[in-house]
Amino acid sequence: MPGLVIAAPFVAALLALLLRSRARRRFTRVALAAVAALLPLALIGKVDRLALVFLALVSCLGLLATIFSTGIFAENFGNGAVGWSRKPVYFALLGAFWSAMLLVVLANDFALLWLGISATTLATAFLVGFSGEAAALEAAWKYLVLCSVGLAFALLGIVVLAHISTAAGLASMEVLSWTAIAAHGPASTPALARLAMALMIAGFGTKAGLVPMHAWLPDAHSKAPAPVSGLLSGVLVSCALYAIMRTVGVAWALGAGPFVQDVLMWFGALSVIVAGTLMLTQRDLKRLLAYSTVEHAGIVALALGFGGPLGWFAALFHVLSHAFAKSAAFFAAGMVQHERQTTTLSELHGLWSGGASGRFLLGALTALSGMPPFGLFISELLLVFAGAAAHRWVPLGLGLFGIAFAFAALSRTAIEVESGHGEVSHSVEPWRSGLMAGAAALALAIASLLVVVPWTGLGAALQATAATIGGIR
Amino acid sequence: MIELVMLLAGAVLLINTRTAQILVAYVVLALTVSVLIAPSASESLLSLALFIITTVLKVVVVPIGIVVFLRANPAAGDLRPSLAMPARLAVVIAFALIARAFSHVTSLNAVPMQDLVAYVILCGLGMLMVHRNLLAHLVGLLALGAGVTLAGALLAPTLPEFIELGATFDALIATFIGLALVRAFVAHNPVLDVESLRRLRG
Repeated sequence: MPGLVIAAPFVAALLALLLRSRARRRFTRVALAAVAALLPLALIGKVDRLALVFLALVSCLGLLATIFSTGIFAENFGNGAVGWSRKPVYFALLGAFWSAMLLVVLANDFALLWLGISATTLATAFLVGFSGEAAALEAAWKYLVLCSVGLAFALLGIVVLAHISTAAGLASMEVLSWTAIAAHGPASTPALARLAMALMIAGFGTKAGLVPMHAWLPDAHSKAPAPVSGLLSGVLVSCALYAIMRTVGVAWALGAGPFVQDVLMWFGALSVIVAGTLMLTQRDLKRLLAYSTVEHAGIVALALGFGGPLGWFAALFHVLSHAFAKSAAFFAAGMVQHERQTTTLSELHGLWSGGASGRFLLGALTALSGMPPFGLFISELLLVFAGAAAHRWVPLGLGLFGIAFAFAALSRTAIEVESGHGEVSHSVEPWRSGLMAGAAALALAIASLLVVVPWTGLGAALQATAATIGGIR
Repeated sequence: MIELVMLLAGAVLLINTRTAQILVAYVVLALTVSVLIAPSASESLLSLALFIITTVLKVVVVPIGIVVFLRANPAAGDLRPSLAMPARLAVVIAFALIARAFSHVTSLNAVPMQDLVAYVILCGLGMLMVHRNLLAHLVGLLALGAGVTLAGALLAPTLPEFIELGATFDALIATFIGLALVRAFVAHNPVLDVESLRRLRG
């Protein structure tokens, strides 16, 4: 069954391409994507709770990105300058990307997890450089080189972990299974365990965009087509953070938990302060959103670094809230780009009076700045409590400064682009704008509804799930 | 003997500025690594099949792909190192000494051939720093992948399928995505100089 769930998005994308009629192809694409998004329901009770949370996240946003892509993909979406800049290739790669992310969250050991994350690189490098423009190719190249180096380090960490597990007497099928390692207890060679964990954190952290391995992220996320940016920022970064959460669990089992928490805490603090500062200098809407992703990945790392049930819950809840808010932001930015033919902030004015895209963008920017009524408000509050509980004042202070800078950058942008008067230079067919608006509205609605989750039964279930991050059970 | 071959191949990768010689050095390095991991790769039919595919991709397809590409775009053959010759030589000596130091780290005593693994990985990373040409970066990624694969075969001999799958992914990424991107790049930048990757800053 997991194999079917993983393959479904890719197979669905390929099946839709077989149809000749455009209208039927669009309908079939969305319908099959919906089926692929619902299939994981069959896995309830068969995978652990943390995997289930991320499975829901990947499936929801995979479906929304497919719906949005169906709406936004006009003839001029890719300029055909390169061989892969074709509509069928786009949807096939989008399906492959979605499938690869499902492989990451359904993996039950680090081998499959690493293969899944590597497969996302295979699927997305061409999506990042999809337009074929020089800047997009540059972004794709940086993405390819930096993520390949990061993944090489992660693989190195994983083979060191395999060496430790083999030496501890685990069977060859279990040497990379987090549940088996957790059951076995601390490593006899703590220095090697720390080396393995550091390499894995650095490797997966590269894919998550943690500073100083973040250089590829602002380029790739700002140059990719808007729905791909939404998936890269909302889901791929979340999948990399999921890999880090699994690493944290194994680190505690091997006796390297405090070391890994320290590493994550400083990576996180550095990411938040650097990204927050750089957000103040951005002149492009999508690039601003991309730096905001670095900031939020840093917040998650910081929360994982503070640790404890509160820190782990803050991290998990922040991943969920950010994923939906950021996808909504990129979807809205894509609509704005489509209507105004630019994402340069100095050229964007009067979005509020220009239609739904401006309102979605305002909602998403409000969510990302950590204001109520959005889930990120709660998770950032939890982060402060977790930092105070852990008495980690310096990283917490750095993090708060970074969050304040990001808040200032997002608020200033929201005021500047929403106020005044601006002209819509490119009209969109109603069915296209309907699909795009629907996807953006759903993502934003979920980001908003999450604010009440901690006070519901779902919140208690999430807390119990977060508690498993530090000790796989 | 193997150590000497790898030391020289790694040194040529970092010091030389001619694409043909770099490619020969890379093929020698990749073949030597393949010889070292062949026993562990032949543990199962799947790992053996993956090993053959990866070796063909890395040792045959990539070099031929680069040669064909360079015939069509000769300007891209200039590797344009960002460091002067004495500095590149110093980098090789430093890498050899750092790799040697790895064999004296007590906690790594259990790791076989740790100095060789460290040297190959450092050479791969070094290529990304020393050369400014994107083709050299592609070869650097493959050399880095070879080092990690070697580490995998030595550290986790019980996981031959995973190690070979990892190596195959590396090769696929470099061969298909890397070469395709380089082909698209050459229309914008015929010399493939990394300095041209400065449009997106800040």
